[in-house]
Amino acid sequence: MACGSTYLWRGEATWFCCGNAWGPCGSHGGGACGTCRSSANHGAWPNASAACWDITRPDLCGEGNIPRRGCGSVMNVRHQCTGATVCITITDCGPRTKSFCGEAACCNGQCRTNRILDLTPAAYSAIGSLSSGKLPVWIYE
Amino acid sequence: MSPNRNTPDAPEGRELHRRRFLSAAALGGATIVGASALGGLDADAAFAAPSPSLDPAIAKTSFAEGRVAGINGSMLEVAGSHGEFHRVQLTNATSIWKLHPTTADAVEPGDGLYARGVEMPDGSIAADAVWVNIVNLHCTIRGIGRDRLELAHNNHAVVGRVVKGTTAASYHGSALSSDLSRLRIGQDAQVLGAWRPKDDSIDIARVSVGR
Repeated sequence: MACGSTYLWRGEATWFCCGNAWGPCGSHGGGACGTCRSSANHGAWPNASAACWDITRPDLCGEGNIPRRGCGSVMNVRHQCTGATVCITITDCGPRTKSFCGEAACCNGQCRTNRILDLTPAAYSAIGSLSSGKLPVWIYE
Repeated sequence: MSPNRNTPDAPEGRELHRRRFLSAAALGGATIVGASALGGLDADAAFAAPSPSLDPAIAKTSFAEGRVAGINGSMLEVAGSHGEFHRVQLTNATSIWKLHPTTADAVEPGDGLYARGVEMPDGSIAADAVWVNIVNLHCTIRGIGRDRLELAHNNHAVVGRVVKGTTAASYHGSALSSDLSRLRIGQDAQVLGAWRPKDDSIDIARVSVGR
């Protein structure tokens, strides 16, 4: 399935590991959908299911209308400033938005607040450096 | 979306420029320099140029993940976590991170890594960035010591080492600070750092806590 260009959401993206892995990432497994892999262009969405929503609770940070997008949903993620994009498939639930309410990622003086997307290392590194830890992004589908 | 290939500033044009540069760096023997001279580009700069949107089934750029099984000159032999095998070519254009920007001689057998670059005709990957042992973990702070944090990640205990001059904290999205005194037991924290294969602990680059 190809990525689309219809606006879905915007906010802060972080990265995580999943699937078989080394070090402390080795305990992650395949994520909520069972298919997540660090080396694939995958992502975690805070409203992947009702059970997922109960964990992430983005509404507690003012992000109450994030739509439900389950396993297999495809999104186009664009870095706010560089325009770099990556097309991902949702394979997990996350990030835990409620734990970092108000956190911002900024570039060129413009910030996006609240964690709304977790990317695998493969996906995140397609639009930014892993050592940055967080990026401001716009999401399309 | 179909970027215009004839426009110099089009994303695909930039991608091709980077691909040509990396190809030249990897294929031109004279440009592959000794390990101690590698790591010339910052990773953030390496990814500043836009790249085209990709269909999930098509990978225009290559990505490798796994542990370093061997080092042959400037070629890293990497055993992937899903049984695959990669050869990652370091060039004088490769940025390398291991807790901080560093050079190729910091890479050791047994290290974990993520690498991004361009696949060469011989199947190797000419890397424009390599992140060695990097982890970014959602944790709960279970204990605070003078030079370490006791962390819980996915119900596993993890020791986070405070590295003098490197470890920094961000509180509620604030700017990074060397002051770790506001960390509290029980807080959720995001820990970005470098895993230490020798003792399974983490050298902390930065710890971010929310409200």
